[in-house]
Amino acid sequence: MSSAAGLFAVVFAALAQVAILPSFSIFGVQPSIIIVLLVAWMSIRGQREALFLIPAAGFVLGLLDGQPIGLAMLALSPLLLMTEVHELRLVDSDFVPALLITAVATVVYETTLLVSLAVKGESVPWLASVTDVLVPAAIANVLLLLPVYAVIRFASLDLRRPRAI
Amino acid sequence: MRARTRTWFSFVVIASLLFIVASRFGIFDPLQNATLNVSAPIESGLRNATTPLADFVNNLTDTHHLSKENQSLRQENEKLQAEVATLRQTQTELSDLQQFLNVRGQHPGDAFVEGHVFAQDGSNEHREVTIDRGTSDGVQEGMIVLTRQGSLIGSVTRALSDISWVTLISDQLSAVSAAVQSSGAQGVVAGSLNGTMTMEFVAATADVKEGDLVVTSGVGGHHPAGELIGQVTKVQATAQELFKSVEVHPLADLSHVENVIIMTSFVPPDTGSP
Repeated sequence: MSSAAGLFAVVFAALAQVAILPSFSIFGVQPSIIIVLLVAWMSIRGQREALFLIPAAGFVLGLLDGQPIGLAMLALSPLLLMTEVHELRLVDSDFVPALLITAVATVVYETTLLVSLAVKGESVPWLASVTDVLVPAAIANVLLLLPVYAVIRFASLDLRRPRAI
Repeated sequence: MRARTRTWFSFVVIASLLFIVASRFGIFDPLQNATLNVSAPIESGLRNATTPLADFVNNLTDTHHLSKENQSLRQENEKLQAEVATLRQTQTELSDLQQFLNVRGQHPGDAFVEGHVFAQDGSNEHREVTIDRGTSDGVQEGMIVLTRQGSLIGSVTRALSDISWVTLISDQLSAVSAAVQSSGAQGVVAGSLNGTMTMEFVAATADVKEGDLVVTSGVGGHHPAGELIGQVTKVQATAQELFKSVEVHPLADLSHVENVIIMTSFVPPDTGSP
Protein backbone atom coordinates (compact mmCIF):
# COMPACT_ATOMS: atom_id res chain seq x y z
CA MET A 1 0.00 0.00 0.00
CA SER A 2 1.12 3.51 -0.67
CA SER A 3 -0.12 7.06 -0.82
CA ALA A 4 -1.70 6.22 -4.17
CA ALA A 5 -3.72 3.47 -2.51
CA GLY A 6 -4.56 5.95 0.21
CA LEU A 7 -5.78 8.45 -2.35
CA PHE A 8 -7.94 5.78 -3.97
CA ALA A 9 -9.35 4.89 -0.55
CA VAL A 10 -10.05 8.55 0.15
CA VAL A 11 -11.91 9.02 -3.14
CA PHE A 12 -13.98 5.91 -2.51
CA ALA A 13 -14.69 7.02 1.06
CA ALA A 14 -15.78 10.45 -0.15
CA LEU A 15 -18.15 8.84 -2.67
CA ALA A 16 -19.47 6.58 0.08
CA GLN A 17 -19.89 9.57 2.37
CA VAL A 18 -22.33 11.29 0.01
CA ALA A 19 -23.90 8.24 -1.64
CA ILE A 20 -24.11 5.53 1.02
CA LEU A 21 -23.69 6.94 4.53
CA PRO A 22 -26.74 9.27 4.39
CA SER A 23 -28.88 6.12 4.22
CA PHE A 24 -27.41 4.85 7.46
CA SER A 25 -28.06 6.44 10.78
CA ILE A 26 -26.40 5.66 14.10
CA PHE A 27 -27.86 7.46 17.14
CA GLY A 28 -29.65 9.78 14.73
CA VAL A 29 -26.51 10.95 12.97
CA GLN A 30 -24.54 9.77 9.98
CA PRO A 31 -21.01 8.66 10.72
CA SER A 32 -18.09 10.16 8.82
CA ILE A 33 -16.13 7.46 7.08
CA ILE A 34 -13.66 10.10 5.90
CA ILE A 35 -12.58 11.02 9.44
CA VAL A 36 -12.46 7.38 10.46
CA LEU A 37 -10.42 6.39 7.42
CA LEU A 38 -7.92 9.20 7.94
CA VAL A 39 -7.44 8.41 11.63
CA ALA A 40 -7.04 4.70 10.94
CA TRP A 41 -4.61 5.44 8.11
CA MET A 42 -2.62 7.79 10.32
CA SER A 43 -2.44 5.23 13.12
CA ILE A 44 -1.41 2.31 10.93
CA ARG A 45 0.45 3.85 8.02
CA GLY A 46 2.07 6.72 9.85
CA GLN A 47 2.21 10.47 9.74
CA ARG A 48 3.91 10.92 6.38
CA GLU A 49 1.05 9.53 4.28
CA ALA A 50 -1.59 11.10 6.52
CA LEU A 51 -0.19 14.59 6.01
CA PHE A 52 -0.84 14.22 2.29
CA LEU A 53 -4.18 12.42 2.54
CA ILE A 54 -5.92 14.77 5.01
CA PRO A 55 -6.07 17.86 2.77
CA ALA A 56 -6.70 15.64 -0.27
CA ALA A 57 -9.71 14.10 1.47
CA GLY A 58 -11.06 17.54 2.34
CA PHE A 59 -10.69 18.71 -1.24
CA VAL A 60 -12.33 15.62 -2.75
CA LEU A 61 -15.21 15.77 -0.27
CA GLY A 62 -15.64 19.45 -1.09
CA LEU A 63 -15.97 18.58 -4.78
CA LEU A 64 -18.71 16.06 -4.08
CA ASP A 65 -20.86 17.76 -1.45
CA GLY A 66 -22.84 20.95 -1.70
CA GLN A 67 -20.72 23.02 0.65
CA PRO A 68 -18.05 25.48 -0.48
CA ILE A 69 -14.88 23.72 -1.59
CA GLY A 70 -12.35 24.20 1.18
CA LEU A 71 -14.80 23.96 4.07
CA ALA A 72 -14.34 20.23 4.55
CA MET A 73 -10.58 20.73 4.07
CA LEU A 74 -10.58 23.39 6.79
CA ALA A 75 -12.65 21.20 9.12
CA LEU A 76 -10.25 18.27 8.62
CA SER A 77 -7.08 20.33 8.96
CA PRO A 78 -6.79 19.97 12.78
CA LEU A 79 -6.18 16.29 12.07
CA LEU A 80 -2.78 17.39 10.75
CA LEU A 81 -1.85 18.56 14.24
CA MET A 82 -3.27 15.38 15.74
CA THR A 83 -0.80 13.33 13.72
CA GLU A 84 1.84 14.80 16.03
CA VAL A 85 -0.06 13.61 19.09
CA HIS A 86 -0.10 10.16 17.61
CA GLU A 87 3.64 10.30 16.94
CA LEU A 88 4.33 10.97 20.64
CA ARG A 89 3.51 7.30 21.37
CA LEU A 90 2.19 8.04 24.83
CA VAL A 91 0.80 4.52 25.15
CA ASP A 92 2.03 1.24 23.79
CA SER A 93 -0.83 0.88 21.34
CA ASP A 94 -1.88 2.32 18.02
CA PHE A 95 -5.54 1.61 18.50
CA VAL A 96 -6.26 3.36 21.81
CA PRO A 97 -4.96 6.76 20.64
CA ALA A 98 -6.90 6.22 17.39
CA LEU A 99 -10.14 5.93 19.36
CA LEU A 100 -9.41 9.15 21.21
CA ILE A 101 -8.29 11.01 18.09
CA THR A 102 -11.42 9.89 16.24
CA ALA A 103 -13.66 11.30 18.95
CA VAL A 104 -11.74 14.58 19.17
CA ALA A 105 -11.44 14.96 15.39
CA THR A 106 -15.19 14.38 15.00
CA VAL A 107 -16.05 17.04 17.56
CA VAL A 108 -13.62 19.49 15.95
CA TYR A 109 -14.93 18.70 12.45
CA GLU A 110 -18.61 19.10 13.36
CA THR A 111 -17.87 22.22 15.41
CA THR A 112 -16.07 23.79 12.46
CA LEU A 113 -19.13 23.19 10.26
CA LEU A 114 -21.39 24.69 12.93
CA VAL A 115 -19.09 27.71 13.28
CA SER A 116 -19.25 28.17 9.51
CA LEU A 117 -23.04 28.39 9.83
CA ALA A 118 -22.71 30.94 12.61
CA VAL A 119 -20.24 32.96 10.53
CA LYS A 120 -22.81 33.03 7.73
CA GLY A 121 -25.19 34.66 10.19
CA GLU A 122 -27.36 31.64 10.91
CA SER A 123 -28.46 30.96 14.46
CA VAL A 124 -26.90 27.78 15.74
CA PRO A 125 -28.51 25.96 18.69
CA TRP A 126 -25.21 25.22 20.42
CA LEU A 127 -26.58 23.25 23.33
CA ALA A 128 -28.76 21.09 21.10
CA SER A 129 -25.79 20.64 18.78
CA VAL A 130 -23.80 19.01 21.56
CA THR A 131 -26.50 16.49 22.41
CA ASP A 132 -27.93 15.97 18.91
CA VAL A 133 -24.78 16.06 16.79
CA LEU A 134 -21.39 16.30 18.48
CA VAL A 135 -21.64 13.51 21.05
CA PRO A 136 -23.64 11.04 18.90
CA ALA A 137 -21.35 11.65 15.91
CA ALA A 138 -18.25 11.08 18.04
CA ILE A 139 -19.66 7.79 19.34
CA ALA A 140 -20.82 6.70 15.88
CA ASN A 141 -17.40 7.37 14.39
CA VAL A 142 -15.63 5.54 17.20
CA LEU A 143 -17.85 2.53 16.48
CA LEU A 144 -17.15 2.78 12.76
CA LEU A 145 -13.43 2.91 13.49
CA LEU A 146 -13.44 -0.73 14.61
CA PRO A 147 -14.14 -2.33 11.18
CA VAL A 148 -12.25 0.32 9.19
CA TYR A 149 -9.19 -0.04 11.41
CA ALA A 150 -9.33 -3.82 11.05
CA VAL A 151 -9.52 -3.62 7.25
CA ILE A 152 -6.59 -1.21 6.94
CA ARG A 153 -4.60 -3.21 9.48
CA PHE A 154 -5.17 -6.34 7.45
CA ALA A 155 -4.28 -4.60 4.20
CA SER A 156 -1.08 -3.25 5.79
CA LEU A 157 0.27 -6.56 7.03
CA ASP A 158 3.39 -6.07 4.92
CA LEU A 159 4.44 -3.28 7.29
CA ARG A 160 4.92 -5.69 10.16
CA ARG A 161 6.70 -8.42 8.25
CA PRO A 162 10.50 -8.35 8.41
CA ARG A 163 11.89 -7.39 5.04
CA ALA A 164 14.46 -9.59 3.30
CA ILE A 165 17.86 -7.99 2.85
CA MET B 1 5.46 19.76 17.68
CA ARG B 2 7.65 19.73 14.62
CA ALA B 3 7.99 22.87 12.53
CA ARG B 4 7.24 20.88 9.38
CA THR B 5 3.78 19.91 10.62
CA ARG B 6 3.03 23.42 11.84
CA THR B 7 4.04 24.88 8.48
CA TRP B 8 2.00 22.33 6.55
CA PHE B 9 -1.01 22.92 8.82
CA SER B 10 -0.77 26.69 8.24
CA PHE B 11 -0.48 26.15 4.51
CA VAL B 12 -3.54 23.87 4.41
CA VAL B 13 -5.61 26.29 6.51
CA ILE B 14 -4.71 29.24 4.28
CA ALA B 15 -5.38 27.16 1.15
CA SER B 16 -8.76 26.09 2.58
CA LEU B 17 -9.76 29.68 3.24
CA LEU B 18 -8.68 30.71 -0.26
CA PHE B 19 -10.66 27.80 -1.71
CA ILE B 20 -13.76 28.85 0.24
CA VAL B 21 -13.47 32.39 -1.11
CA ALA B 22 -12.82 31.11 -4.65
CA SER B 23 -15.79 28.77 -4.31
CA ARG B 24 -18.02 31.72 -3.38
CA PHE B 25 -17.07 33.34 -6.68
CA GLY B 26 -17.87 30.16 -8.62
CA ILE B 27 -14.28 29.56 -9.71
CA PHE B 28 -14.57 25.85 -8.99
CA ASP B 29 -18.00 25.44 -10.60
CA PRO B 30 -16.73 23.98 -13.92
CA LEU B 31 -14.44 21.55 -12.07
CA GLN B 32 -17.22 20.57 -9.69
CA ASN B 33 -19.72 20.16 -12.50
CA ALA B 34 -17.32 17.94 -14.44
CA THR B 35 -16.46 15.89 -11.34
CA LEU B 36 -20.11 15.35 -10.48
CA ASN B 37 -20.95 14.42 -14.05
CA VAL B 38 -18.39 11.64 -13.80
CA SER B 39 -19.24 10.61 -10.25
CA ALA B 40 -23.05 10.79 -10.52
CA PRO B 41 -23.49 7.34 -12.12
CA ILE B 42 -21.08 5.82 -9.59
CA GLU B 43 -22.87 7.49 -6.68
CA SER B 44 -26.22 6.46 -8.07
CA GLY B 45 -25.00 2.88 -8.41
CA LEU B 46 -23.63 2.87 -4.87
CA ARG B 47 -26.91 4.27 -3.53
CA ASN B 48 -28.98 1.68 -5.35
CA ALA B 49 -26.66 -1.15 -4.40
CA THR B 50 -26.72 -0.32 -0.71
CA THR B 51 -30.37 0.65 -0.33
CA PRO B 52 -31.46 -2.88 0.70
CA LEU B 53 -28.64 -3.03 3.26
CA ALA B 54 -29.56 0.41 4.56
CA ASP B 55 -33.19 -0.64 4.85
CA PHE B 56 -32.14 -3.73 6.73
CA VAL B 57 -29.86 -1.88 9.11
CA ASN B 58 -32.35 0.91 9.69
CA ASN B 59 -35.23 -1.50 10.22
CA LEU B 60 -33.55 -4.28 12.14
CA THR B 61 -36.87 -5.40 13.51
CA ASP B 62 -38.39 -5.44 10.06
CA THR B 63 -37.69 -7.27 6.84
CA HIS B 64 -36.78 -5.69 3.54
CA HIS B 65 -40.16 -6.71 2.14
CA LEU B 66 -42.04 -4.96 4.92
CA SER B 67 -39.87 -1.91 4.53
CA LYS B 68 -40.69 -1.70 0.81
CA GLU B 69 -44.35 -2.29 1.52
CA ASN B 70 -44.27 0.46 4.12
CA GLN B 71 -42.62 2.79 1.64
CA SER B 72 -45.25 1.93 -0.96
CA LEU B 73 -48.08 2.51 1.50
CA ARG B 74 -46.52 5.77 2.56
CA GLN B 75 -46.40 6.94 -1.04
CA GLU B 76 -49.99 5.87 -1.54
CA ASN B 77 -51.00 7.66 1.64
CA GLU B 78 -49.14 10.75 0.52
CA LYS B 79 -50.91 10.62 -2.84
CA LEU B 80 -54.30 10.21 -1.17
CA GLN B 81 -53.56 13.04 1.23
CA ALA B 82 -52.68 15.20 -1.76
CA GLU B 83 -55.99 14.30 -3.38
CA VAL B 84 -57.84 15.06 -0.18
CA ALA B 85 -56.02 18.36 -0.01
CA THR B 86 -56.98 19.13 -3.60
CA LEU B 87 -60.64 18.30 -2.96
CA ARG B 88 -60.74 20.34 0.20
CA GLN B 89 -59.13 23.21 -1.59
CA THR B 90 -61.63 23.10 -4.41
CA GLN B 91 -64.44 23.02 -1.87
CA THR B 92 -62.96 25.98 -0.06
CA GLU B 93 -62.68 28.00 -3.23
CA LEU B 94 -66.19 27.08 -4.33
CA SER B 95 -67.43 28.33 -1.00
CA ASP B 96 -65.53 31.51 -1.71
CA LEU B 97 -64.06 31.50 1.79
CA GLN B 98 -60.34 31.60 1.17
CA GLN B 99 -58.45 32.38 -2.04
CA PHE B 100 -54.87 32.09 -0.85
CA LEU B 101 -54.57 28.31 -1.09
CA ASN B 102 -54.17 27.24 -4.70
CA VAL B 103 -54.05 23.79 -6.10
CA ARG B 104 -51.55 23.11 -8.81
CA GLY B 105 -54.07 21.39 -11.08
CA GLN B 106 -55.82 24.68 -11.53
CA HIS B 107 -52.75 26.24 -13.10
CA PRO B 108 -52.22 24.69 -16.52
CA GLY B 109 -49.22 26.98 -17.08
CA ASP B 110 -47.14 25.08 -14.52
CA ALA B 111 -44.05 23.38 -15.95
CA PHE B 112 -42.00 20.63 -14.34
CA VAL B 113 -38.71 18.80 -14.81
CA GLU B 114 -38.13 15.39 -13.30
CA GLY B 115 -34.85 14.70 -11.55
CA HIS B 116 -33.08 11.85 -9.81
CA VAL B 117 -31.34 12.12 -6.45
CA PHE B 118 -27.87 10.61 -6.58
CA ALA B 119 -26.30 11.94 -3.40
CA GLN B 120 -27.03 13.54 -0.08
CA ASP B 121 -25.03 15.94 2.02
CA GLY B 122 -22.47 13.99 3.98
CA SER B 123 -22.57 16.14 7.10
CA ASN B 124 -24.90 16.25 10.07
CA GLU B 125 -25.39 20.01 9.82
CA HIS B 126 -27.19 20.14 6.47
CA ARG B 127 -30.11 18.25 4.97
CA GLU B 128 -29.52 18.53 1.29
CA VAL B 129 -29.76 16.25 -1.73
CA THR B 130 -27.95 16.43 -5.04
CA ILE B 131 -29.98 15.94 -8.22
CA ASP B 132 -29.00 15.27 -11.82
CA ARG B 133 -30.67 18.36 -13.25
CA GLY B 134 -29.12 21.80 -13.62
CA THR B 135 -29.37 25.12 -15.37
CA SER B 136 -29.10 23.40 -18.76
CA ASP B 137 -32.44 21.72 -17.93
CA GLY B 138 -34.04 25.02 -16.95
CA VAL B 139 -33.45 24.62 -13.22
CA GLN B 140 -32.70 27.79 -11.29
CA GLU B 141 -31.95 28.61 -7.69
CA GLY B 142 -35.09 29.17 -5.67
CA MET B 143 -37.29 26.77 -7.64
CA ILE B 144 -39.35 24.48 -5.48
CA VAL B 145 -38.96 20.72 -5.52
CA LEU B 146 -41.74 18.21 -5.02
CA THR B 147 -42.09 14.45 -4.76
CA ARG B 148 -43.84 12.56 -7.52
CA GLN B 149 -46.83 12.45 -5.20
CA GLY B 150 -46.89 16.23 -5.11
CA SER B 151 -45.71 17.24 -1.67
CA LEU B 152 -43.01 19.81 -1.09
CA ILE B 153 -39.56 18.55 -0.17
CA GLY B 154 -37.43 21.67 -0.56
CA SER B 155 -35.96 24.31 -2.82
CA VAL B 156 -33.02 24.48 -5.19
CA THR B 157 -30.32 26.42 -3.36
CA ARG B 158 -27.49 25.98 -5.84
CA ALA B 159 -27.52 25.08 -9.51
CA LEU B 160 -24.63 24.26 -11.81
CA SER B 161 -24.93 23.35 -15.47
CA ASP B 162 -25.96 19.72 -14.97
CA ILE B 163 -26.25 19.38 -11.19
CA SER B 164 -28.31 21.07 -8.51
CA TRP B 165 -28.51 20.97 -4.74
CA VAL B 166 -31.88 20.91 -3.04
CA THR B 167 -32.12 22.04 0.57
CA LEU B 168 -34.80 19.95 2.25
CA ILE B 169 -37.60 21.53 4.27
CA SER B 170 -36.23 19.72 7.33
CA ASP B 171 -32.87 21.54 7.08
CA GLN B 172 -32.26 23.87 9.99
CA LEU B 173 -31.89 26.81 7.58
CA SER B 174 -35.19 26.10 5.86
CA ALA B 175 -38.22 28.28 6.59
CA VAL B 176 -41.41 27.98 4.56
CA SER B 177 -44.40 30.29 4.93
CA ALA B 178 -47.26 27.95 5.66
CA ALA B 179 -50.91 27.71 6.56
CA VAL B 180 -53.07 25.09 8.19
CA GLN B 181 -55.41 24.07 5.43
CA SER B 182 -58.56 23.57 7.45
CA SER B 183 -58.47 26.82 9.43
CA GLY B 184 -56.14 29.04 7.44
CA ALA B 185 -53.95 29.63 10.50
CA GLN B 186 -50.64 30.98 9.29
CA GLY B 187 -47.09 30.36 10.42
CA VAL B 188 -43.63 29.37 9.25
CA VAL B 189 -42.56 25.73 8.95
CA ALA B 190 -38.93 25.53 10.01
CA GLY B 191 -36.49 22.65 10.02
CA SER B 192 -34.02 21.87 12.78
CA LEU B 193 -30.63 20.37 13.41
CA ASN B 194 -32.13 16.95 14.14
CA GLY B 195 -34.47 17.05 11.14
CA THR B 196 -37.76 17.61 12.95
CA MET B 197 -40.07 20.36 11.68
CA THR B 198 -42.08 22.86 13.64
CA MET B 199 -44.63 25.42 12.56
CA GLU B 200 -43.64 28.63 14.26
CA PHE B 201 -45.46 31.89 14.87
CA VAL B 202 -48.87 30.23 14.99
CA ALA B 203 -51.11 32.50 17.02
CA ALA B 204 -52.21 31.08 20.37
CA THR B 205 -55.81 31.62 19.33
CA ALA B 206 -55.44 29.81 16.00
CA ASP B 207 -57.49 26.70 15.34
CA VAL B 208 -54.90 23.94 14.86
CA LYS B 209 -55.27 20.30 15.77
CA GLU B 210 -53.42 17.05 15.25
CA GLY B 211 -53.96 15.58 11.79
CA ASP B 212 -54.48 18.93 10.09
CA LEU B 213 -52.72 19.30 6.76
CA VAL B 214 -50.18 22.06 6.36
CA VAL B 215 -49.65 23.72 2.98
CA THR B 216 -47.53 26.58 1.70
CA SER B 217 -49.23 29.94 2.14
CA GLY B 218 -47.35 31.79 -0.58
CA VAL B 219 -46.58 34.64 1.80
CA GLY B 220 -43.20 36.17 0.98
CA GLY B 221 -43.18 34.86 -2.57
CA HIS B 222 -40.59 32.13 -2.03
CA HIS B 223 -43.12 29.35 -2.59
CA PRO B 224 -46.37 29.17 -4.55
CA ALA B 225 -49.45 28.79 -2.39
CA GLY B 226 -51.17 25.48 -1.78
CA GLU B 227 -48.24 23.06 -1.98
CA LEU B 228 -48.62 20.25 0.50
CA ILE B 229 -45.96 20.22 3.23
CA GLY B 230 -47.05 17.81 5.93
CA GLN B 231 -49.38 16.97 8.75
CA VAL B 232 -49.68 18.37 12.25
CA THR B 233 -48.56 15.75 14.74
CA LYS B 234 -48.50 17.68 18.00
CA VAL B 235 -49.94 20.95 19.27
CA GLN B 236 -48.92 22.57 22.53
CA ALA B 237 -50.23 25.81 23.91
CA THR B 238 -49.90 27.55 27.22
CA ALA B 239 -51.90 30.50 28.41
CA GLN B 240 -48.80 32.65 28.87
CA GLU B 241 -47.41 32.28 25.39
CA LEU B 242 -48.31 34.27 22.30
CA PHE B 243 -47.70 31.39 19.94
CA LYS B 244 -48.60 27.73 19.81
CA SER B 245 -45.96 25.07 19.49
CA VAL B 246 -46.91 22.98 16.46
CA GLU B 247 -44.94 19.95 15.29
CA VAL B 248 -45.27 19.03 11.63
CA HIS B 249 -44.36 15.71 10.06
CA PRO B 250 -43.51 15.84 6.35
CA LEU B 251 -45.71 13.69 4.16
CA ALA B 252 -42.74 12.74 2.03
CA ASP B 253 -40.08 10.42 3.43
CA LEU B 254 -37.25 12.93 3.36
CA SER B 255 -34.62 10.39 4.33
CA HIS B 256 -35.18 8.33 1.19
CA VAL B 257 -35.90 10.76 -1.59
CA GLU B 258 -35.14 9.22 -4.98
CA ASN B 259 -37.10 10.93 -7.74
CA VAL B 260 -38.13 14.54 -7.57
CA ILE B 261 -40.12 17.04 -9.61
CA ILE B 262 -38.76 20.56 -10.00
CA MET B 263 -41.36 23.23 -10.69
CA THR B 264 -39.59 25.28 -13.33
CA SER B 265 -42.51 27.64 -13.92
CA PHE B 266 -42.15 29.18 -10.47
CA VAL B 267 -39.14 31.41 -9.89
CA PRO B 268 -39.25 33.42 -6.69
CA PRO B 269 -38.30 37.09 -7.03
CA ASP B 270 -35.49 36.73 -4.48
CA THR B 271 -33.48 33.54 -4.91
CA GLY B 272 -31.94 33.44 -1.45
CA SER B 273 -32.35 30.84 1.24
CA PRO B 274 -35.46 28.67 1.02
